[in-house]
Amino acid sequence: MPSGALLFQSVILGLLLGGLYALLAAGLTLYFGIMRVVMIAHSAFLILAAYLAWWSHARLGVDPLLSMVVTIPLFFGLGVLLQRLLLARLRPVTLTMMSVLLTFAIAVLIEGLLGYAFTGTQRRIQLGYGSASIGLFGARIAVVKLIAFGLAAVALLTLYLLLKRTRFGWALRATIQHPDAARLIGIDTDRIAGFGFGVGLATAAVGGTALALDTTIYPSLHWHWIGPLMAIIVVGGLGSVPGAAVAAMLLGLVQSLLQIPLGTTWAQTVFYLALFATLAFRPQGFFGGRLAQRF
Amino acid sequence: MPSASDPTRAHRLGGPLRAVAILALAAAVLSFPSWAPNPYILSAGVVVLNYAVLSTSWNFVGGFTGYISLGHGALAGLGGYATGLLVVRAGLPSFVALAAATLLVAAVAVPIGYAALRVRGASFVIVSIALVLILLLVAQSWASLTGGSRGLVVPRPFPGLLRPEHHRIFFYLFAALLALALLVWWLVDRSRFGLGLKAIREDEDKAESLGTPTFAYKLVVFVVSAGFTGLAGGLYALWFGDLDPVFQFSILTGSYLVLMALLGGVRQLFGPLVGALVVGVGLEYFKVEFGNTPLHLAATGLLLALVVLFMPDGVLPAVGALADRFLRPAQSSIREVTAAELREQRDTAPPGADRAADPPTELPVGAVDGRSGKEGP
Amino acid sequence: MSDETRGTGTPVTSDPAISDPATEGAAAPAADGTGSLATTGLTKAFGGVTALDAATVTFRHGLVNALIGPNGSGKTTFFNCVTGMIRPDSGRTSYRGADITRRAPHAIARAGIGRTFQLCRVFPRMSALDNVLAAARPGGLWRGLRGARSRAEVDLARGWLTRLGIEHLADVEARNMSWGQQKLLELAGVLMSGPETVLLDEPAGGVNPALLDRIGSLVRELNAEGRTFVIVEHNMDLVMSISDHVVVFDRGRPIAEGPPSVIRSDERVLGAYLGV
Repeated sequence: MPSGALLFQSVILGLLLGGLYALLAAGLTLYFGIMRVVMIAHSAFLILAAYLAWWSHARLGVDPLLSMVVTIPLFFGLGVLLQRLLLARLRPVTLTMMSVLLTFAIAVLIEGLLGYAFTGTQRRIQLGYGSASIGLFGARIAVVKLIAFGLAAVALLTLYLLLKRTRFGWALRATIQHPDAARLIGIDTDRIAGFGFGVGLATAAVGGTALALDTTIYPSLHWHWIGPLMAIIVVGGLGSVPGAAVAAMLLGLVQSLLQIPLGTTWAQTVFYLALFATLAFRPQGFFGGRLAQRF
Repeated sequence: MPSASDPTRAHRLGGPLRAVAILALAAAVLSFPSWAPNPYILSAGVVVLNYAVLSTSWNFVGGFTGYISLGHGALAGLGGYATGLLVVRAGLPSFVALAAATLLVAAVAVPIGYAALRVRGASFVIVSIALVLILLLVAQSWASLTGGSRGLVVPRPFPGLLRPEHHRIFFYLFAALLALALLVWWLVDRSRFGLGLKAIREDEDKAESLGTPTFAYKLVVFVVSAGFTGLAGGLYALWFGDLDPVFQFSILTGSYLVLMALLGGVRQLFGPLVGALVVGVGLEYFKVEFGNTPLHLAATGLLLALVVLFMPDGVLPAVGALADRFLRPAQSSIREVTAAELREQRDTAPPGADRAADPPTELPVGAVDGRSGKEGP
Repeated sequence: MSDETRGTGTPVTSDPAISDPATEGAAAPAADGTGSLATTGLTKAFGGVTALDAATVTFRHGLVNALIGPNGSGKTTFFNCVTGMIRPDSGRTSYRGADITRRAPHAIARAGIGRTFQLCRVFPRMSALDNVLAAARPGGLWRGLRGARSRAEVDLARGWLTRLGIEHLADVEARNMSWGQQKLLELAGVLMSGPETVLLDEPAGGVNPALLDRIGSLVRELNAEGRTFVIVEHNMDLVMSISDHVVVFDRGRPIAEGPPSVIRSDERVLGAYLGV
């Protein structure tokens, strides 16, 4: 039986990790809501942002957090372009399948280019505060993990306020729920969809920076993220942001706890087991709305 | 089997041309081992044939139902590992192990298909990717069984054979498997079962409302596809003899298969084969010239994106249309066909004539134009 | 509530007793006016919106039933629930006495209920003939592996195309056909599947007057051969001219039913349509 302190530490770490999962899954959910697109390249962009954070620190000597000043607007723009120039070109009938392929192709392209630009070497940011940690009832929590969680939490809160309190958020929700009706009341749904993708991709920029703080990165790392993230959005119910957030926290927590008896590798299987169980027994997900039913 | 589609095949110019092309292709494939300059080229031929079998197997799901799987590389890997483990750990004879592994992969495909196919497309893709990741994880971590990252050495089925002979035998084995896969695909294509699958591709809800048991159809074709894929993977294991989890359970293999099928044309019997020839030869060439660089990956991604964006129907239909235009210049210049001409065209067709189900672009260009002009009344 | 208006001697324009079974696959039961497709307490809510509110309806076997009501009154949701396309939250559906509530759409189709869709749905990249052939009963896997074009089936499919007046388009891909032609093609496919009850979702939607007449008389003919119809339709002229029995929906439940002549002057119906 593991000690109470170890258990407590695992719970804290699980929740911190769950926060990052929640932010990234929120981005994936946005894409799915807007266009029924399963955006495979989301985690590749995550790693790209992490590389940019690492690069700005290692080469320019800037604090990785500052790289977000560039990456967030950059990724927002890329998201808009991705939707308007590429995804919108696909035939609506085969959109779901072809968009998966297209975003998959982009993910592979990004991985290849990262490998070309930075080689396959594993990279890690060495920060002055990188090894600092605080003790809490016997648990040791690294400061960078707290910063990463803080970033994710702030970004999620911003996303929430953006969706619920702004005119853009209102238009975006209308576009997601009923595009035809939204068009009828004068919403430029194409524009809004583009912006929605921009916002989604911006979550990858924030997430990537947070990731870079305390993780060793390499070009093919994104495959380790896309699996869990996709499991999360299916368990949460495709298209449901709160569902994704709950599933993210829950699965992050379970993964962290399972690491005690199973080790880090086998603990990952919880995502895939949850994915298969959900699809076999409750395909619409556990927190999803009607959107999820037929996907 | 009475088939109303035969008369049209004969009267179309494409018919004989097609037959000649198929014969030429078969002759080229079968004679390849005798004119291959060295064993290396021959082994590259085996690799390309393996790709052709795999992408044709993939096309059972992708082509008929329109469901795109990125995980078929992992099914092949599973077939390979199952074959290898049955030989190494259970001591089965090579080809008995191969048969057992094929059945095993097909059996594993049942629960996977059950989870992935009950709902519409998005979940299927997600599961197919998850399959690769989870199998890689298991193969690497369960080292006591699989050998982990050190890999698994599979003994050769014909130990006394020299390397070129070994390649030659496996070349013909893969060619036979390819022929079998193509034959089954063709049979399904012209069957009611195949028509139901294509209806699913076109509009799944509609197909179901007409009484097609869509879930059962999808599951059956997925299991068939997985079986062929597992068989090809197992044969590869017996040929290559050394399995590395990173290559066996690679998402990249799956994406090569998709790229090949899509590039050739998923609605065509020979589409994946043509795609495999193009992409497979390209892959082998670049491997020799440049080794394994990250640019491989980037090029694959770029090519896949271009195909998805600009040629989602593949090259075969495009080439077919071009050939028709070239062979029938008179008709291609007629932009608009009057109703009377169209009637005449119809009347010259034999009674009960009927188009083949698959290749829409093989129709004469003039007829296509005429059709779009016919929308009015 | 259905029992009050039951069998009120609705004028049947053509006698179903002399139905013509010449067309293969057509069912020819007696038009006894008893319940065929029936629901009890069918309820479905989308988010906060109740699309069906404990709808209890019985359609009559062998008749042309119409289902009318203002926009958003739940007619299409009703079709979707009955055919298994969406799961109702509660309530039951029965067909010819058997419970079909939880059955899969294809099982319901095989039980004898065919349907068309509001925005007509055909298989766009298949020829008209293949569209119709795809609706033929596959009948098990082994039979399914036989060629899709057995002489008998092609003849039957061509027969339906001919009957609907689009046999000259047999080799044309559905996506290249006009809207009206697609509607006829969709109907041909549904009929090929051999249903004894056909649900039509707005057959007159977007259709020119000449075609409208043709669809109207076709429905009467097919009914005379023994098919039951349930038609959701906004075109009141068509409804009143071809139907034997009318059910009026408002806010997810039936508010009136009876023969067209009675429904025409029913105050509740006028109220529902005019919003009083």
